Amino acid sequence: MVKSFAISLRLLRGAGRHGLLGTLLTVVAVAVSTMLLLAALAANGAFAARAERAAWQTPSPTSPESATAVQSTSVEYFQDKPVTVIRLAALDPAAPVPPGLPAFPKPGEFYASPDLTGLLASTPADQLADRFPARTGGLDRSVLAAPGQLVAVLGLEAADPFLTVPDGAPVDPGTVPTHIADFGGAPSLDTVIYDLLLKMATAMVVAPLLIFGAAAARLTVARRDTRLAALRLIGATPGQVVSMTVAEAVLTAVIGAVLGALVYLAGFAGLAQIPMQGQTWFTSDLWVGLPWLLAVLAAVPVLTGVSAAIGLRRVVVSPLGVAQRQTPPGLRAIRLVALAAALIAASFVTAGTGAMMVMIVLGAVFLAINLVGPWVVGIIGRISAAFARGPARLLAARRLVDDPRAAWRTVAGVALTGFVAGFVGLLSPATLETTDSDRTVLSLRAEDASAVDDVTAVLAAKGIDGGVEVAESGKDYAYIAVTVADDPATVDRAKAALTGVVPGQAPIADSDQAAEGRILLGDVQVGVRIVLIVSFLVAIASAGIASASSVLDRRRTYGLLRLAGTPLKVLNHARAIETRIPLLVMGGGAILVGIFCGVPFAAAGAFSPSGLITLATCVVLGFGGVVAASALSRPLLDSVTSSPTPSPD
Amino acid sequence: MNSAPAVLAGSGLVKRFGTTTALAGVDFQVARAESVAIMGPSGSGKSTLLHCLAGILGPDEGRVTLDGKRIDDLGEAGRSVLRRTRFGFVFQFGQLLPELPSVENVALPLMLDGVPRRIAVTRAAEWFAPLGLGGLEQRRPGELSGGQAQRVAIARALISEPAVVFADEPTGSLDQTTGADTLRLLTESTRKQGACLVMVTHDPTVAAACDRVVEVRDGLIRGGASAAPPRSAPTARPAIAFSPGNVPTGPAPAAPGVRHDEHGARQW
Repeated sequence: MVKSFAISLRLLRGAGRHGLLGTLLTVVAVAVSTMLLLAALAANGAFAARAERAAWQTPSPTSPESATAVQSTSVEYFQDKPVTVIRLAALDPAAPVPPGLPAFPKPGEFYASPDLTGLLASTPADQLADRFPARTGGLDRSVLAAPGQLVAVLGLEAADPFLTVPDGAPVDPGTVPTHIADFGGAPSLDTVIYDLLLKMATAMVVAPLLIFGAAAARLTVARRDTRLAALRLIGATPGQVVSMTVAEAVLTAVIGAVLGALVYLAGFAGLAQIPMQGQTWFTSDLWVGLPWLLAVLAAVPVLTGVSAAIGLRRVVVSPLGVAQRQTPPGLRAIRLVALAAALIAASFVTAGTGAMMVMIVLGAVFLAINLVGPWVVGIIGRISAAFARGPARLLAARRLVDDPRAAWRTVAGVALTGFVAGFVGLLSPATLETTDSDRTVLSLRAEDASAVDDVTAVLAAKGIDGGVEVAESGKDYAYIAVTVADDPATVDRAKAALTGVVPGQAPIADSDQAAEGRILLGDVQVGVRIVLIVSFLVAIASAGIASASSVLDRRRTYGLLRLAGTPLKVLNHARAIETRIPLLVMGGGAILVGIFCGVPFAAAGAFSPSGLITLATCVVLGFGGVVAASALSRPLLDSVTSSPTPSPD
Repeated sequence: MNSAPAVLAGSGLVKRFGTTTALAGVDFQVARAESVAIMGPSGSGKSTLLHCLAGILGPDEGRVTLDGKRIDDLGEAGRSVLRRTRFGFVFQFGQLLPELPSVENVALPLMLDGVPRRIAVTRAAEWFAPLGLGGLEQRRPGELSGGQAQRVAIARALISEPAVVFADEPTGSLDQTTGADTLRLLTESTRKQGACLVMVTHDPTVAAACDRVVEVRDGLIRGGASAAPPRSAPTARPAIAFSPGNVPTGPAPAAPGVRHDEHGARQW
């Protein structure tokens, strides 16, 4: 193996300018893959770290007998910012100290997170501070989900109405007073949703990434095909040929992986600035950790080597195989059956299907598109070859027929991204509903309608102009609706004034109820955008690489054709058609498949305007990007064909 | 032999690459239907001479004329058209597009000139039987032997009825028997077309197949411009009855044997 490395290194160095360019492209491809892989890992780790740190904020229920304390966590809003309010009462002197606090808060104590402390100081007291007692102390940032999270920890008497544990098992420990034994915590509902969304996003980014990495590895092999077949012809053993190629691919990949890791190291602090759940990140959350970093640095070259070895199979099987450029066996229509099966499976998916099942079906459709792609490209090639009139169109069509896999590789990234875009195009939230009313309604749940008088009195005392009425009442409850002017200061003053007026109740504004959904949908939008941007970047880069490697592969033939007077324009036109035809057919097809799979998840079964905009942007940028990336290899074609004596290497 | 008016002529050709002088003032002429071999050791400037004559490289000094008209001062586009329409090229290997069937490879120059595909392909197919390629029209270059591929290349060079065919080591990658057959086809079919042939080679037996041999050494033509050796055996034989459209048997029987030999030679 050491000898193989030595020979490969010499071959790499002696490869000349164009050979070096090919190596460079592979290095860049591997670097981008490594960087994105690390970023995806970092994102997964970051959500996990955030969830783990904030777990104590969500109580984990226990039986009343083993309880040491009662905890109630609710999210109340200041303007549109969520404030996590944690109310605690000890049932036992031995109750454990909550994370980040010096001691279990005594009744009347109030601890605030750093950003909440800042907000309290900079905001009129009647809008925020009046909701809480006087601040006792601070809460350490290390127990917050995010550095800017607003958290209030309040100590109460166990008998406080805010902490009255309802009979029966708590439906959602995130909102109802709960008996707890310790602060081990539980994953909040949010955490579960985000984990699922993140896994979907990761799958959507990593799948094209693998194709991209494989394309890069094949680029290495493609350039070496001829020479390795020659080596094989002069008697190198299959083992020697394989180890030499693998050595070269691994060597190239190591350089790329290190570069990618360096880019990640330089940039991961920037990732921390992308807000999720309304919060930016601790920089340390986005650090993957040394073991993962080393694992990726080791795995990427190994995977590249494996991909290179697979690509070489043909050469090793027969020394004449590549040297003679025989026609590869045709692709079979059985591939179509795979897509049909996947689509039938997808048609059973509804919004009610389990998340795991949805993932599996989506993955299967994804793979099926990838399987069916080359076959469809071959068919398109045959059809266009039969109808081609001009030389450029004929050249392009014949090339599609000859190597549909290569043509598919050029457009695979964008086509698969088209699938993602079609799918999430439907998922994207519609432009947020905004109430055009100039009034905000706050509601309070009271035991009976008599609370109306208390509420009216408090509002009058604080000088807040508002209408009070009973919105709905039953045997043992009454919802009191307070209508105030829809301006943030008035709403927050009313909230501060009304907190605790009805025992155990903080008022909830109608805008608050929408806020949580708004944040989640906003995050989905950010996530969708990141997934689309990343996968389009990967797709465009891989299209560029595929097109460059096709020029490098055929530089001798192109060069001789040009010498014989073939206008470069025709060659370039042929290459453009070669990309454009499969791009339109497969990209369009993949979008349709994506829409088909996305329909069960669409809110009203129709496109939302923002989803359509996202989709249209994808089509324009993605298709335009691929065409541009292919055009980028024009100067390369010019340069490899301008030499009067084109050399085989 | 030089009394006929020159179709292609170079006079006082000088070409330098950096400090190296590849051509140091070369005069060269070739007459209608004449074949000339340019010989010389590696680095002598023979390929540079061919490139200058064919409008691939522009000479630093001197002039090149085709049918009396100057061509060395044409722009890249003009020279490209000239190469496509008035010249034909046969290289050592690798000039055929691997994904195109042979017949489409041959038809390509016509299509590039705007001939409709159906007509171009029909005309291309007429070349196959005379060159011993009958039945191989739909084969792709990868499925042909080296000798067959070179004959397809010869057909492609000749289909646009060029004034001059340039060949650069056309038999360089073939075994001796196949090489001799290919060479004979090249010289004879070129002459039949009334085109002249300019061939670069380092092999004296290959050069001997031409009417005339010139030797380039250190950028100059040595030993007189017409060191014409006696015509070799292939041209002494009756020329094959070659005429596209009127398809004779020609050298077809050679093909299967050649192909077999080639595979045998390669499969060790």
